[in-house]
Amino acid sequence: MIEVKNIKKKFKKQKNKKESIEFFAVNDISLKAEDGKIIGILGPNGAGKTTLLRIIAGIMEPTEGEVNYDKLNFKDNEIEIKSNLAYLSGNTKIYDYISAYELLKMCLEYYDYPKNKIDTRIKEIAKSLNLENFLYNRISNLSTGQTQRVNIARCLVHDPKYYILDEATSGLDIMSSEIILNFIKNEKSKGKTILYSTHYMEEAENICDEVLMINKGRIIKSGTPESIKKDTKTTNLRAAFFALIGGSNEE
Amino acid sequence: MKNNKIGKVLKKEIVSVFRDKKSLAMMLIIPLIIPLIIIGMSALFDAQMSEDAGNDYNKIGFSYELSAKEQEILTNLNIEVTVDTEDNLKEKINNDEVYLYITKNENKYTLNYNMSSDKGGYASSLANNYLSIYKEYLQTEKLSSNNMNPTDILNIIEIKETDLNTESYFANYIISYAFMFILMAITVSATYPATDSTAGEKERGTLETLLTFPIKSRDIIIGKLLGVTTSSIVTGVLSLILALLSFQFINNTYSIYESIPVTMSIPTILISIIIIIMYSLFISGLSIAIASMSKTFKEAQSALTPLTFLAMFPGMIAFMVGIPTTTLYSIIPFLNFSMIFSDTSAGNINVINIALMIISTIIYIVIVILYIIKEYKSEKVLFGI
Repeated sequence: MIEVKNIKKKFKKQKNKKESIEFFAVNDISLKAEDGKIIGILGPNGAGKTTLLRIIAGIMEPTEGEVNYDKLNFKDNEIEIKSNLAYLSGNTKIYDYISAYELLKMCLEYYDYPKNKIDTRIKEIAKSLNLENFLYNRISNLSTGQTQRVNIARCLVHDPKYYILDEATSGLDIMSSEIILNFIKNEKSKGKTILYSTHYMEEAENICDEVLMINKGRIIKSGTPESIKKDTKTTNLRAAFFALIGGSNEE
Repeated sequence: MKNNKIGKVLKKEIVSVFRDKKSLAMMLIIPLIIPLIIIGMSALFDAQMSEDAGNDYNKIGFSYELSAKEQEILTNLNIEVTVDTEDNLKEKINNDEVYLYITKNENKYTLNYNMSSDKGGYASSLANNYLSIYKEYLQTEKLSSNNMNPTDILNIIEIKETDLNTESYFANYIISYAFMFILMAITVSATYPATDSTAGEKERGTLETLLTFPIKSRDIIIGKLLGVTTSSIVTGVLSLILALLSFQFINNTYSIYESIPVTMSIPTILISIIIIIMYSLFISGLSIAIASMSKTFKEAQSALTPLTFLAMFPGMIAFMVGIPTTTLYSIIPFLNFSMIFSDTSAGNINVINIALMIISTIIYIVIVILYIIKEYKSEKVLFGI
């Protein structure tokens, strides 16, 4: 289980050459993600989703609050937590000067995977994600869809317990998005914990067990997609979001 | 476990350098400039010396008629003679038709030339030589006519000259400059991979991926530092090997190195390697620290440009001014590397100064690493926010 307690993240923004203003990109957010559940984090661009997920993934420090993974916190157990974590985002890219095989080998080495089992594990993942035809090709020579599959393989390769997926389908075509959505559903069925942020409300409605709607760094509504629609008397999450923010979204 | 992770990051960084054409070019092509500089400078020196030793400055004017004996001595000395009036000779000096002229008043000879000019100085030494031979001839004649043995009188004492100088100005100059260019090659070679592994990774979006792995920031930074340092050391050692080969070549090619060839002793080579390793670590750390602050590759390259000059000038100034190495200078970065090399190549191995250079460099590297580790927690550095 991932437990996020009262996370705040303050940034400084340069107003002009002399003045700067402070603002909270994430403001007092708490959540619980149970095992075997997909928790959707929804919100428009600039709502604070990426900052929140970076903090949860331990690649950014919060100004206040804490994140626990099955009672382990980042301060004392960073390596242990990251060993069981996979982070995939629209912003994260993979090294393209090596082959998919070399990348997966490098990842497994970073995760201290037993040396004698590395080759078998890579071939197993390559088979399940259909990477075999281009496993030894340089990533720079692969298509966007193939690269995305390699990126998913990177996340899966060490068999993590938790997934943090930030706008993972953003900017991808239907085929590539489908690969990622199938991967998420598949991992959920294995009892993995998944945090999934998107600004595609329909996508979230289809795959998430629970959603947190955030705007301007704060949670404006949380619950199952059904309960949110019911509470807001709307028929879909998009309409629910607009109902909650009063029909407009001033950035 | 920790060292294991550093090793894995280092492996990734080295693969990155060797797979990237530009990094590889920086690492391997830059050293090729060293032989060009050494051979080019030697060719220039040699040409200059040949010109100095040539017949160009042997044009001497005389404001009086020369005897047959005088003409014979002048011919033997290969002096080009111009006999004219003093006024005309003055004008000829201004037009570089002669470089010196001699006037005579009874037995008093006066050498007239531009004392601030190299050509005048060379002509004056020729003229003195000529007058000395002519004087000896007149003395011999006079003594013989008085039934005296000129050899007994003229050689009453014998003077011998022994050149104690074991150093060659050109050899020292070439070695010191070659080493400065080796340091410069290391600097240029360090900046590219340092930029690529920090600002470049940030720009390409792979830094975020790297941060998600179970590796401490400290290990990522040390791995990156060692990766850049390895590339710099390869450049430095390759440059040193090429410099040594170039020395062999110039010794066999140019006459200026005939009497004292350009050589580096074994201790000098070993200390040079120590300096190359320490300097590579230092410059790689500084380059990573500066490049980390930049959002983009381009911004990092601009930020690193002053470092290239900073790396070059202190050593160059110390070499040109000829400042001796002191305890204080041994701990001043940039200056200490060049000065200790100059001392060593001149045969002055000062263990304390070398130890101080090593210890101070290690302290600076630790400070730089701690600074980068602190900065690698900042969103501005990691994500450019």
